[in-house]
Amino acid sequence: MKINLHDILKRDFGFTSFRPGQEEILRHLFANQNTLAILPTGGGKTLLYQMYGAVTHQRVVIVSPLISLMFDQVSRLQYLGSKRVVALTSALDFQEKAIILSRLNQYQFIYVSPEMLANEQVFQKIKSLKIGLFVVDEAHCISEWGPDFRPDYLNLGKVRQNLGRPLTLMMTATATDVVKADIINHMNFDSADVQQVVLPVNRPNIFLSAKVLANQQEKDRELIDLVSKLHGPGIIYFSSKSKAEEAAVNLAVKTGRQVMAYHGGMDNQTRFHIQQQFMDGNLDIVCATSAFGMGIDKDDIRFVIHYHLPANIQSYVQEIGRCGRDQKPSLAVLLYEPNDRYLQMNLIANTIPERNILKYLFQHPKALTNDDQFRVVKYYHDNGYSLDQTMGIFEHSRQRRITELGAMVQYVYQDGCRRDDLLKYFNERVSATLKNKEFCCDHDIDFWNNWQSFNEKYLNQSLKSAKSKPKSWQEVIDKLFLLKN
Amino acid sequence: MELSILLLIFGSPTQFRRVKAIKNTLRGRRTVSNLYWALQYGMLDFVDSLHGVSFEEDSAALKQLKNDGLVETDDDFRFRLTSKGVKKQLDFQSQLLPLKNLAVGSRYDVAKFMHRFTFAVQIVSEYSYSNNKYYPQSINYFEDQLLKRWFIQNKRHQLPQQFHDLLNDFLSGLGDNQLADAFTQSLVGHDFSGLTGEQVAAAEHTHATIVQLQWLQLYGMLLQELLKLPKDNPLLQLTFGLDKPVVAKSAEETFDLFVKQGSGDFKTIAQQRGIKLTTVYEHLLEMAIMSPINAFPYQSLIAPDLWKRLADNSPEDVGEWSFADASKVFPHLAFFEFRLFQIYRSKLADEN
Repeated sequence: MKINLHDILKRDFGFTSFRPGQEEILRHLFANQNTLAILPTGGGKTLLYQMYGAVTHQRVVIVSPLISLMFDQVSRLQYLGSKRVVALTSALDFQEKAIILSRLNQYQFIYVSPEMLANEQVFQKIKSLKIGLFVVDEAHCISEWGPDFRPDYLNLGKVRQNLGRPLTLMMTATATDVVKADIINHMNFDSADVQQVVLPVNRPNIFLSAKVLANQQEKDRELIDLVSKLHGPGIIYFSSKSKAEEAAVNLAVKTGRQVMAYHGGMDNQTRFHIQQQFMDGNLDIVCATSAFGMGIDKDDIRFVIHYHLPANIQSYVQEIGRCGRDQKPSLAVLLYEPNDRYLQMNLIANTIPERNILKYLFQHPKALTNDDQFRVVKYYHDNGYSLDQTMGIFEHSRQRRITELGAMVQYVYQDGCRRDDLLKYFNERVSATLKNKEFCCDHDIDFWNNWQSFNEKYLNQSLKSAKSKPKSWQEVIDKLFLLKN
Repeated sequence: MELSILLLIFGSPTQFRRVKAIKNTLRGRRTVSNLYWALQYGMLDFVDSLHGVSFEEDSAALKQLKNDGLVETDDDFRFRLTSKGVKKQLDFQSQLLPLKNLAVGSRYDVAKFMHRFTFAVQIVSEYSYSNNKYYPQSINYFEDQLLKRWFIQNKRHQLPQQFHDLLNDFLSGLGDNQLADAFTQSLVGHDFSGLTGEQVAAAEHTHATIVQLQWLQLYGMLLQELLKLPKDNPLLQLTFGLDKPVVAKSAEETFDLFVKQGSGDFKTIAQQRGIKLTTVYEHLLEMAIMSPINAFPYQSLIAPDLWKRLADNSPEDVGEWSFADASKVFPHLAFFEFRLFQIYRSKLADEN
């Protein structure tokens, strides 16, 4: 079958050109080749399987790890024009699940969490359908060496086999060589059988900077200063919902800008309003938690500030990747004060169960049945690991996280090129000749004494922010409904 | 929502009221105890009107009100409004529609209607601009399917014009531009992203809780308007499946069996229904509380001489008469009879 991908892209999706890597991946898929794609955040992963489904009219099953992410993806797919989309997650109640399963053959795009796929009833239902493409999103979750290890991902190789080995696309935004090898291995592929399309992690249009402050008060002052003056829409990341909310109120009062918090603890309607306002350019800045990403594309985000340190370099690269998707100059700022490290250390301590809890759970495995937080423990218990072995795995995981956090802190104190430091984790290098020293990181230029002129020179005001909003109820209803006569 | 605001709205300057009972009444915890206190506080119409809403801790809310001099408390987590509290109550009430509009939530799932209606507005708004590239505000699987079907069935019926007319009539009929503005900010549509409750509150210099209550009242009113529409009107379909039973189905079944049986043999009722004997009592008390005074056979459940003796010995405020105190006078008194008597007297007092 000869397919003109560019024509379809234009006709069905309204885009004039592919983003880097997209065409190559699609060509592999249309040649029936299993593919591992490492595409940066915002690289257009959704379009890949949507286009495959649109051209072949076949069913696509997408394994995705997070409920919030899945809902965002369903929403995005609907936005891009596919309406036969459904998500099978633990958020469904019994009735919803039963109805969806009974009508599953009506859907072309089926999102499913790995835990749902482990459910025999769900698996059998999916197995009874003809699957054109099996997509493993956030495939790095399969690797015990990756930061987001999800034990249920380890079953996906077996699941794929039991589904009759459908054509498979494995995708992630960032993966080290070890993680890439793990993905291929756990999915039961030989590396020779898998086409790999690896796009550079480097985003040359994002300027990298970090600043060490003496304490939180100083950090708050710096944040207010930056937010008051930096142009364009921006995201500020926090490690807690309460801090994100507190900062949003404080920043709105002190900077006069339109700032709102945005996190998973908010009710759906509030979150939807904020999301729409941000998309429409009516909000300047969103204070978000790192655990809750924006699933919706906004191309013109000019800056990402980290008020709190992320847990590792991979997460950092993903989060700063949300700015500058329009390829225009953008800015990543990491603000750090020494206590931030302990905040992350506490988070690590809280996510690794203590020995006495593990011991109790191994003695009372019924307690593991439905508790989400013990899913990892359950996996090891059910797969015959002893208490000591499991304890050893958790200890190993704790050590790894501490090492990763150490690397993140090292990035803050880095006195060489920040870009080189970030990229070395992905075995990537930018040659000296290709590097733009004027626009790389705060090692090469005196950014912190000149950030205001940097702001004026590089960060363009978004055109969207100038829109006037209808205010009175009459104006609103006139605006909402375009009447034909 | 802020519990302290709701306590002020539903507080009284003359009667000490229990924080937990007010909160649980609004949240729809239908224990006989909660319903009984809802009856005493004149809140039966509001049972479950704030279904699914989360509140802060009782003690924190009460402490804040006390610190602000708005209430006085006794040891029992009960409070009474001070004169300053009454002033604040009037201030809040002036920002709201009459409270009966919140009571709609007791009979219909107004919050669900609000989500459904705003989603319908988004769909119709984008449709009027011939735009199908937008992020839909998904609710849940069933609601999404309902709206999808509704839209496909009705899109040829000039929905944009119908929605425009409906909202124009409804909002101009309010006679209050501030409330009408607040209502429209709850909507989302083509190139219009509305405001969150917090944002509206900041603009109006009020509390987000007040805005959320305004929205529930306005959507309750709108729902009642839609329910009056002729059967073939497509907007009526947006009200399907929202009604809630006033009494629990199980209590109604017990009561029906009791009436049918006519002998007052509770043990048999319990056996036939497969429930505990104490549950039979609870169901009958729930029915007594939720039914009009003439629709419940009080006299057949309390012997005439006991009735007379209770009436002769009850204190003026029969609602607050404790079972422990009554038992001192009537050592063999059953709680069921005692509570029924209280319910009857409270209902009688309300009617007079």
